[in-house]
Amino acid sequence: MISEHIPDIDLITNCAEQQDTVFSRASPWTKFLLLIIVVLLITLTSNLVVLTAMYAIILLACVMAGLPMRKIIAWYAMPVIFVISLVGLMIWNQPGNPLFSLDIGGFVLTLTDQGILLIFTLLEKALISVTFSLFFLMTTKYAYFSALVSRLFPTPLDQIFLLAYRFLFLTLAMAASMLKAVRSRGGGIIHSIRTQGGLFAGVFGLVFVRSFEQAERVEKAMTARGYNGTYAAHTTIPKPGIAECGILCAGCLAIILIFWMVPHAGGW
Amino acid sequence: MAHIHLEDGSFTLTWVLVWWIIALACIGIALWVLRREKGKNQKKITIAAFVTAAAFALFQINIPLFGGVHLNLTPLVAILAGPVLGALVVLVINILSAAIGHGGWGLIGANVLINLVEVVVAYLIFRGSRKIIPDLFSRAGIATFAGLFCGNLMMVAIIMASGIQGVTQTPGQVLAGLSLIIAVNMGIAIVEALLTGLIVRYIGNIRPDILGESKP
Repeated sequence: MISEHIPDIDLITNCAEQQDTVFSRASPWTKFLLLIIVVLLITLTSNLVVLTAMYAIILLACVMAGLPMRKIIAWYAMPVIFVISLVGLMIWNQPGNPLFSLDIGGFVLTLTDQGILLIFTLLEKALISVTFSLFFLMTTKYAYFSALVSRLFPTPLDQIFLLAYRFLFLTLAMAASMLKAVRSRGGGIIHSIRTQGGLFAGVFGLVFVRSFEQAERVEKAMTARGYNGTYAAHTTIPKPGIAECGILCAGCLAIILIFWMVPHAGGW
Repeated sequence: MAHIHLEDGSFTLTWVLVWWIIALACIGIALWVLRREKGKNQKKITIAAFVTAAAFALFQINIPLFGGVHLNLTPLVAILAGPVLGALVVLVINILSAAIGHGGWGLIGANVLINLVEVVVAYLIFRGSRKIIPDLFSRAGIATFAGLFCGNLMMVAIIMASGIQGVTQTPGQVLAGLSLIIAVNMGIAIVEALLTGLIVRYIGNIRPDILGESKP
């Protein structure tokens, strides 16, 4: 694991493989289509009630699936920082009731209640998207995930995706162990750009060199076993059941309703 | 990868679709070029997959310099894999990143376009200035900085064109805010240029063939 605040791919995969709940038995197609519906819904609506209801449903599904909620909340750090760092600059001077003002070199920046509401709305949208993505990954077995990639992406993009996803576990472990080695020798504390930069450049360079060497070895080994440029994923993906089709239809209906009820919802 | 550090729901559906369509057209061109080179792709694909895995893994590492930065690595991907494979690599990394909350699904199109600018500019400068700047460290550093600078301009152009849902600031006010982000990003770009220079020199010393350079 590289950091506590970055989703741990090993833990995500472990959860997906160990899962035996209604969510892991659901068709990966259903979860994939629901992901698209969720992204569309949070793109189309900024209604806090609708967003809160969606977030509550997704959180409930995560709890029911027995996912590690503390870990998921720790992994929120990155998206929350991203939203605050960029949108934090744009919430000033929004129309609304002023809360306080800052005078910076003649420029008056006013924070209003609508500015606060805007950042909460965008944060909630971010958390809905992240939570559902993690829910999808943590309830879908690797074999199904690779079969989805194989069917959705054109060749050779699917090959790069599938091989990269497979190699990712090795590479992450290699990078984490190299960082551990650096830290155990006193690295990781700022000395100077010269020493620290050189140290990390060595780690990064070595990860790339080793990756290239592994790629060459793996390619030779795979060619010896009959690899001809096609890494196929033959797993049969279960089709959505009637109940799942009903959920998907409800999601589509929600999108249509938003288009009907909210003028210019799509931005046109 | 340099990113518009925003999540889903920030852009309107129209702009999400616009950036996705342009990005997919660029990816389509890269796929077409790659498919034309039939029979030579097997090794390239394997290497692209490993570059993707390595870049994604290293992308997650926080370097304790100037309070902590993470590398974008796009220019390095361009130097190692070239613009065609680089285009595919950045798409896969953006999808994997969106899956773990590092940028939204809807913003993949916009982020791929930013990364493509970085890839193309860095690659052209690194390869094009081989005779003028023979030193790997300087050449990679300059290519990286130029790539990231152009990527930042692209990011500003995309945000200015799309706007952010709910934000009512004037274009001038948005640009002022973004200028602050550009200034921070350029500071990080200098660090990244130095580090990429060191990484490329390190790789050049061990495996110059990976860079397409002959050993001195």
